[in-house]
Amino acid sequence: MTAAMSPASRGPIDEDVQELARTWSRPPGFWGWLTTTEHKSIAKRYIITAFTFFLLGGLEAATMRLQLGRPENSVVGPDLYNQLFTMHGTTMMFLFAVPVMIAMGLYFVPLMLGTRNVAFPRLNAFGYYTYLIGGAFLYISFFCNTGPDAGWFNYVPLSGPMFSPGKRIDVWAQTITFTEIAALVGAVEIIVTTFKHRAPGMSLNRIPLFVWAMVVMSFAIIFAMPAVATDSLFLALDRSIDTHIFNPAEGGDALLWQHMFWFFGHPEVYIIFIPALGMVSSIVATFTQRQVFGYTAMVLSLIATGFISFGLWVHHMFAEPIPVLGESFFTAASTMIAIPSGVQIFCWIATVWTGRPRFQTPLLFVLGFFVVFIIGGMTGVMVASVPFDLQATDTYFVVAHLHYVLIGGGVFPLFGAFYYWFPKITGRLLSERLGRWQFWLFFVGMHVTFFPMHTLGFHGMPRRIYTYLAVTGWGPLNLVASIGAVIIFVSVVLFLVNVAKSWRGGAVAGPNPWHGDTLEWATTSPPQSYNFARIPVVVGRGGLWETPDEQPVVGGLRTDTREVLLTTLLDAEPESVHELPTDSIWPFLLALCMGITFISSIFAPWGALVGLGLGFLPALGWAWPTKPPQPERISPERAS
Amino acid sequence: MTSSATSSRVPTMKPERVVRDVSNLPTIAFGSQSIAWWGTIGFMVIEGFTLALCAATYFYLRRNFSAWPPEQTPRPTLLIPIIQLGVMLVSIIPMYLAARAAYRLDRSGMLKWLLVEVVFKIVILVLRWYGFKALNTQWNSDAYGSIVWTTLGLHTTLLVIDAAEDIGLVIIILTKMRDRLFSDVTDDAIYWYFTVAAWVPLFFMLFLTPYVS
Repeated sequence: MTAAMSPASRGPIDEDVQELARTWSRPPGFWGWLTTTEHKSIAKRYIITAFTFFLLGGLEAATMRLQLGRPENSVVGPDLYNQLFTMHGTTMMFLFAVPVMIAMGLYFVPLMLGTRNVAFPRLNAFGYYTYLIGGAFLYISFFCNTGPDAGWFNYVPLSGPMFSPGKRIDVWAQTITFTEIAALVGAVEIIVTTFKHRAPGMSLNRIPLFVWAMVVMSFAIIFAMPAVATDSLFLALDRSIDTHIFNPAEGGDALLWQHMFWFFGHPEVYIIFIPALGMVSSIVATFTQRQVFGYTAMVLSLIATGFISFGLWVHHMFAEPIPVLGESFFTAASTMIAIPSGVQIFCWIATVWTGRPRFQTPLLFVLGFFVVFIIGGMTGVMVASVPFDLQATDTYFVVAHLHYVLIGGGVFPLFGAFYYWFPKITGRLLSERLGRWQFWLFFVGMHVTFFPMHTLGFHGMPRRIYTYLAVTGWGPLNLVASIGAVIIFVSVVLFLVNVAKSWRGGAVAGPNPWHGDTLEWATTSPPQSYNFARIPVVVGRGGLWETPDEQPVVGGLRTDTREVLLTTLLDAEPESVHELPTDSIWPFLLALCMGITFISSIFAPWGALVGLGLGFLPALGWAWPTKPPQPERISPERAS
Repeated sequence: MTSSATSSRVPTMKPERVVRDVSNLPTIAFGSQSIAWWGTIGFMVIEGFTLALCAATYFYLRRNFSAWPPEQTPRPTLLIPIIQLGVMLVSIIPMYLAARAAYRLDRSGMLKWLLVEVVFKIVILVLRWYGFKALNTQWNSDAYGSIVWTTLGLHTTLLVIDAAEDIGLVIIILTKMRDRLFSDVTDDAIYWYFTVAAWVPLFFMLFLTPYVS
């Protein structure tokens, strides 16, 4: 049904809004919870699940620091220690960092684009359940003493059938498959939503930098994740049905594992880092109250970073027999990626310099990011040099470097983003006082933990040892690092306290507490199930700052079906309207079938076929159309 | 209902002004106007890249062998794979005709050609079964056997998904037809063109390059 519109109004009439709420809300109770396809609900679960894994990974790290706090300690034995560092790396990379970045995109990209859901809502739910099943499977296995134990990058031949009998490595390989599927699903969601669901007027050169970052991350996922998925498939086959892809005795190649793993593994760092750059841009713009300096340079730098990230993987393999020309190429590429990163840092500095900075907690985390990430970047330039890398490889210097890069480049901006967007998600502000305490504890704890590791590396302490002798002299610095871990622990506990206190009792935020410019601030906090009562129209790059007096909007979208507006790729001109599917149990059931497929294949290869066969029914149920409420209007533009 | 006039109790940032009416825009779009088309392209890129990685692995592993296939492993048999390739190429025609009928909003034509396509895909899958035998090696014989079986297996997964998708579409068209399926069938056709196009270089790689010394 369509209704007349007035040229100007303060908002949609109540009946329309009530109908919108009925149309977009999920049914009450557990069934509604299980079947919902609303992007915000799914993304919140993603964030909470990922953060739970972050806590578990942190506890594993804390246990390791406890063990290494003094020489010849006996908190854990070598076998459990092997599982702990493998679980820690796998958890932080596959179950925390990538999913949480995707989740932030799944929550905020549709809001920033001015639409009501992601492009494929059921696929989105499927992605989450796949991720959840994979993560739960890994941890259940770990608690049954079947946690993987060959390091997060699982080099063959150590992880092959000869040196790692049992099921531990199979658990790792299948966990990877689960999480890769979820990541790929999330990437396709973000790309298609950005390409087709933008509010009218949001041409490519007006897309918020956060969304650009999410798009670049998604493309990186699409080209990186298949490499590790294929690699782990090869490994699973070598282990389960005696293929020989990595077995040199039968013409296989152990180094192939490393090439394929790092072809994924290096872009992985940027899959975590690039969305963080988008978060930094959002925070810097809002907390200086000006648009980020050099928009075009920023976007091109993001894209350049995404491209160059695929040309660096061999620098993880400098200690392997690699042709000298190859080493030179990858050294050059590794140093070249500093250029787009540098461009962005200078643009942010220019923004802060010429803006009116408000040093609240989100901006503090951004400033912390500058410091920590720049140190990590400088040690990165050091290990990009082959002669230096040969000395430092497999020592604690590399542990220090990678934590500076990943915590500096990922976790600091993420905490800033939590403080920045928590009011949008919950309607309440986090406590500023606790936030400052948390920031300073985290900043200090980070340096106390990881800076001494540079020196430990220079002193020859290798990675992945469960203990060491007192005569090595590594004891004092290890103790300092362990004290730092306690400080980080306290900081994270403070964050949890802050969230628990503020979720219900924090100051009410209102729609736009920070006076931000992007469209998520144009709606209520938290947003309604339909996001926007009427779809906003964008008139400039400055978003809400361009329309201070009144918000131009679109009229004519149906309120009795889940209708969204699709726009053209380049200029975001309205092109068609599209009815999104209703909530459904089928994505959950299909994810369960996938779970049966992957998990059963560990114990009996034919189990995979059973799971795939079972999957046909939920796939059919998923695609089963509902009756449209009106005659459909078919686009006249189609090929003959 | 659509959103309309007057005041509201809904908290909004600022007054709103309706500047565009989209109530008459089409509800069903084809090709790059449709989000399903973009989703299909996305998954084609992912799957295509996965197959490309298998091809890269094939040539990477080949460097470890003085003879390819390894000594005492016969070259692949060509007859069945060539027939299968031919059937796959011909199967593009009914798929194209089904898509063309879909563009013309011709339900019966679309259904007819889709049914023909299902028959083609069943034949292709049967031939693929013999295609595995035509490799003349086993997955666990050596690295050569492993990579050729894995590559063929992954492509076969695409064939199975394609066939299942066609069967699912036929069932839905017969029982719950709605106009959006016209667009879905055109996307299904694109996915099949991709599956066939991906097979051509893989066929050359798996079955013909072993004949190149």
